[in-house]
Amino acid sequence: MDWMFMLIALLKVLVVLVVFVLMLGAVLTWVERRMSALIQDRLGPNRAQIGNVRAWGLLHPIADMFKAFTKEDFVPAGANRMLFFLAPAIALASTLACFAVIPFGPGEHFTIAPLDSGMLFIIAIGSFGIYGVALGGWASNNNFGLLGALRGAAQLVSYEVTMGLNLVGVFAVFGTMSLSQLVLGQGELLWGWLPKWGVVVQPVGFVLFLIASMAENKRAPFDLPEGESEIIGYFAEFSAMRFATFFLTEFVEIVLIAAIAATVFFGGWQIPWLDPQGVAGGFITVAQIGFFVFKIIALCWLQMLIRWTLPRFRYDQLMNLGWKVLLPLSLANIVVTAIVLALS
Amino acid sequence: MAKLVDRPKADLVIRSYIPEVLRGLRVTSRHFWVNFLTRKNVVTIEYPEEKYPYPPRFRGQHRLMKREDDSVRCVACFLCATACPADCITIKAGERSDKNEKYPVSFEIDYIRCIFCGMCEEACPCDAIRLDSGDHKLPGYTREEEVLQKEDLLAKGGLSIAKQGGILQ
Amino acid sequence: MPTLKIDGIEITVEPGTRIIEACDRLGIDIPRFCYHPGLSVAANCRMCLVESNRSPKPVPSCYEMAVDGLEIQTKTQKVIDARRAVLEYILLNHPIDCPICDKAGECDLQDLYFAHNYQPSRHAFAKFHKPKARQIGPQIMADSERCINCTRCIRVCDEIAKAPQLHQVNRGGRTYIDVFPGTEIDHPYSMCVSDVCPVGALTTKDFRFKCRVWFTNGTQSVCGECSRGCSIRIDTYRNEIQRIMPRENPTVNQFWACDAGRLAYHNYETDRLQSAKANGQPVASDAAITQLATALDSVASGARVLVVLSPSMTNEAAWAAIKVGQKLKGMVRYAIGGREAGFKDDILICADKAPNRAGLALVLKTLGVEAVPLSAALAGSPQAIYIFGDDHHLEDVLVKAMDGAQLSVVFSAKDGPLANAASFAFPTMSPYEIDGTWLNEFGILQRVRPALTPTWDARPIEKWLGALTTRLLDEQIADDPAELFVTAMSSVNALDGTPLAASGLDGIGPFGIALK
Repeated sequence: MDWMFMLIALLKVLVVLVVFVLMLGAVLTWVERRMSALIQDRLGPNRAQIGNVRAWGLLHPIADMFKAFTKEDFVPAGANRMLFFLAPAIALASTLACFAVIPFGPGEHFTIAPLDSGMLFIIAIGSFGIYGVALGGWASNNNFGLLGALRGAAQLVSYEVTMGLNLVGVFAVFGTMSLSQLVLGQGELLWGWLPKWGVVVQPVGFVLFLIASMAENKRAPFDLPEGESEIIGYFAEFSAMRFATFFLTEFVEIVLIAAIAATVFFGGWQIPWLDPQGVAGGFITVAQIGFFVFKIIALCWLQMLIRWTLPRFRYDQLMNLGWKVLLPLSLANIVVTAIVLALS
Repeated sequence: MAKLVDRPKADLVIRSYIPEVLRGLRVTSRHFWVNFLTRKNVVTIEYPEEKYPYPPRFRGQHRLMKREDDSVRCVACFLCATACPADCITIKAGERSDKNEKYPVSFEIDYIRCIFCGMCEEACPCDAIRLDSGDHKLPGYTREEEVLQKEDLLAKGGLSIAKQGGILQ
Repeated sequence: MPTLKIDGIEITVEPGTRIIEACDRLGIDIPRFCYHPGLSVAANCRMCLVESNRSPKPVPSCYEMAVDGLEIQTKTQKVIDARRAVLEYILLNHPIDCPICDKAGECDLQDLYFAHNYQPSRHAFAKFHKPKARQIGPQIMADSERCINCTRCIRVCDEIAKAPQLHQVNRGGRTYIDVFPGTEIDHPYSMCVSDVCPVGALTTKDFRFKCRVWFTNGTQSVCGECSRGCSIRIDTYRNEIQRIMPRENPTVNQFWACDAGRLAYHNYETDRLQSAKANGQPVASDAAITQLATALDSVASGARVLVVLSPSMTNEAAWAAIKVGQKLKGMVRYAIGGREAGFKDDILICADKAPNRAGLALVLKTLGVEAVPLSAALAGSPQAIYIFGDDHHLEDVLVKAMDGAQLSVVFSAKDGPLANAASFAFPTMSPYEIDGTWLNEFGILQRVRPALTPTWDARPIEKWLGALTTRLLDEQIADDPAELFVTAMSSVNALDGTPLAASGLDGIGPFGIALK
C-alpha cells in the first residue's frame, strides 16, 4: 500500500470508467436513437452541430449534457431531499463499481481490482442498484413514483436470483469464481478446434443470463418500472441532471451486462486460434483488449436490437416468466451441469 | 352477443418464444441495415432543407390582392372580420378619393389568434383576401412580429382577375 | 269604431287608423319603406301592398284607412308577387355596394330583399348613375344611387325640423334627393334624415366608415345635453362609443334627437381626468382618500363650507353628496352650478342645458335643504369648497375662490382648470358611463345606463363618497345606485300614485316614469 499503487489504481479507474465506460454509455444514448430510427424507417437525431460540423449527430450527447446541466433542478414539495439527492448517485455508483473486477486484458494490470471472488463482488454490488430505484421512487413523494419503485424493486429482486444461478453453472465448469481465472479457462480449445467459451459449455445458461440481466436493467421488454410511454415510473419527479444520471445508469448497465457476458460466456479478452508465436507480446495484448471491447460493443448492440424488437411484458407475465420459467430452468441447468461434470 | 375468439393451441416451440424472437430480430436487423446502407425506406423529410409539397388548396399565410392600378382590392367591408371565428382581423376603414370610396387604412392579422380556417376568404365579396400564398406564417420572437400589417400582406399579393363583387369574368 | 278583418282575425280600431297600424297592432309583418309612424303618409314605395275586398288591385296599407267590414289579406300569392315585383323595380338601378355601405346590416332594403325577393337581377342594361358620396351638409353624406325615393327625409325636414331643405330633383328613374343649389342641410335635426333613411342613401359624416353596425352593442340611456332628456341608444364597440341614435319614446322625443346631443359624446373622448390628483399632481386613489380624510379634520368647525352641486348629477349621486355635506364640519351652504341656458326651439331643444335640474330640486326639497345662487355663494369667500361634476358656468370665479379656500375638492370626469386647482380631484364617470336616474323638465324620470367602462380608476360620485365615508364618518352611506334610488325616492310617487321606491331602479321602463 504505497502511493505508487494508489496512483496506478486511480489511473486505471480513470481510464476504464471515464474514458471507456461513460463515453461508451453516452455514445450509446445516441446510437440507440439513431438505431431505433433506422429500424423504424426514420433518420433520428442528426442535427446537433458545432459550426458546420454535424458528425452524423454524434454531438447530441454533448448537447444533451449541456441541456441536463442547465435545466431547472426541481425537487417536489414534501420530497425527502437527501434521499432524492442520493438515489441517482447510488444507482450510478453501484453500476460503475462493478467494472472494478472486469479483466480487460491478460494479467493483473488490466483489472482495476483483481479479486478471487470477482463474480460475487459484482452480484453483491450490483444489487445495490435496487436502492437507487426504490429510494428514488419513494423519496420523490409521488404516488406514481412510489408505485414505479415498488414494481422495480419486485422485478429486480425476482430476476437477481436467476441471474446469479446461471453463473453457478459456469463456475462449476471452470472451477473458479475469479474472473481472470474464468477468462484463462476459456482460452482452451475443446476437441482441438472449438473454443471452450462459456456460451459453448453453458448455452442455456447464457440465454437465461441474458434475459435475466436485461430484466435487471429495466429496459424493454422489461421496462415496467419506468414505462415512459404510458405508466409513470420511479423517476417521474426527477429532472435535469438527476434524471440524466438515472438515464446514464441504464446505458452504463448495458455496457456492464455486455462486459460480464463477454467475460463469462465469450472468453473475455481471449482471441481463439491465435498463435502467439513470432508476434510481439505488446501487440498481442493490444489486440486482445481490442477484441474484448469489440465483444462488449457487439453485445451492447444485441441488447439494443432486442429492446427495439420486442414489446413490453405485462406485469403478471413478467413475474410468471421470472419465477415459473427462468428459475426452474436455471436450477435444472445447474443439476444437469453437475451430473455431467460428475460423470466426466 | 359475445363473440368467441379462436385461441389456437400453441406448441412448445412457439411458447418458448425463442424462434419468434429471432424472427423479430431478423426483421428489425433487416430494416436497420437496409436503411443504414441505402436509406431506401427512410421517410423522414429534413424540414428546413427539404419541404413537403403542399396540396394546391393548402391554406397558408394570407395575402391581400391588388387591382389593375396596384391599389388594394379590399374595400374594408369587415366581412372577413365578421366571419373570423378567432377574431384575429382588425381593420380601420378610410375614404379613398376615387369611385371606390372605401379602403382599409390599416389591415392587421394577428397570427397568434389565426387558425387558418379560411372563413375570411369565403366571406370576402371582393376576392381581396386569400390564403393561397403557399407559405407558412413563420414563427417570430415577439408578439409584434406575429401581427402582420397591410403592407406585409400586400407584399405577397398579386393581381386578381375577378370582377369586383366576386364574379369571375 | 270600425271593425275589420286582417288575415281572418277581427280587430276594432279607432276611426282614422291606417291598415298598416292595425297590422302592427296584430303583429302581422308588413314590409315598408316610405311609411314612418312619426311622419305623414306618402304611399310612394308600394312595398306595403295588401289585398282588400274593396279593391280589385292590391292597396297600399299605409294609406288606406280601416273601415267597417274591410277584409284584408296579407299573405296571398298575389301580395307576395306584388312585393317581389315592387322590390325588383326598386332594385333596378341600385348599385348593390353593400360592402362599402354604412347602412349594411340595418338596411331595410337588404332585409326585405332577402325576405321577399331573393333573385338575381334581370336588368341586363347599364344602370343609371347618379351622384355618389357627396357631402350635402355638415353632418350628412348623400349617395343618390342607393336612394329609393321614399321621401322620408324630405318629410322629416318639412314636418319635424320645420326646415324644408331637401327636395327631389329630376324625374323617373333619374330622380334623386338633393339640397337646393347653394344651400346645405344644416338644421339642428339633420342627422334624423339618416335615421329614417331605409337605405344607405343618407348617412352621417360622424359614423362614416367607423364601424359596422352589427358589431355594436346598444345601451338604452338618456341624452344629457338639455333638460328634455331625449331617449337615446348608445352604440358601442370595444368600449368606444361609435354613435348615438334616438330611441322611440312617445312622451319625450317621439323618434327624434338633435345633432348636438348625438355628437356630444366627443366631449368626453379626450381630456379625461385619469387618476386622482392632489394639488394638481396625480396620486393613487386610496392615498388621495386617506389624505382627504386627514385634511377634512383640519377644517375648523365654524368654517364657511360651500358644496357646488351639478344639475348633471344623477339623483342618486346628488342624494349621496348632500348626505355627506350634512355631515361635514362647518357652516355648509349649497349652490347649483352647471351650464348656462342657451339655444331653444319649439321642437325638442330646451333652453336649460342640464338634464337633471328638476331632479336636483326634488332631492333638495326632500332633504329640506336650500340652495343659494352660485355667484352669491362664491361672494362669501368660502374656506372649503366641494365641487361635483364639470362644465360649470363661472368657472374662472370658481377657480379663484378655490385658490382662496383652505380646502377644495373636485369630483370631475374631465381634466381641466378645476381639477388642477383643487386640493383633491377625483376622476368620475362621463354621462355615458353613469348609472342612475335623471328627471327632465317635463317630469319624466328616466334611467341612465352605463355604456362604457373606463379603463382607468374612474368611479361614480356615489362610489367615491362611499369610500370617503368609510374613512370619515361613523355612518356608512350606501354607494349603490339601486339602494340610493330607493332611499332618495322613498317619499316620491309616480303620476299614477305608485311609490317609486316600490318599483326600484330596475322598475323604470324604457319610456321612463311620469312624475306629477
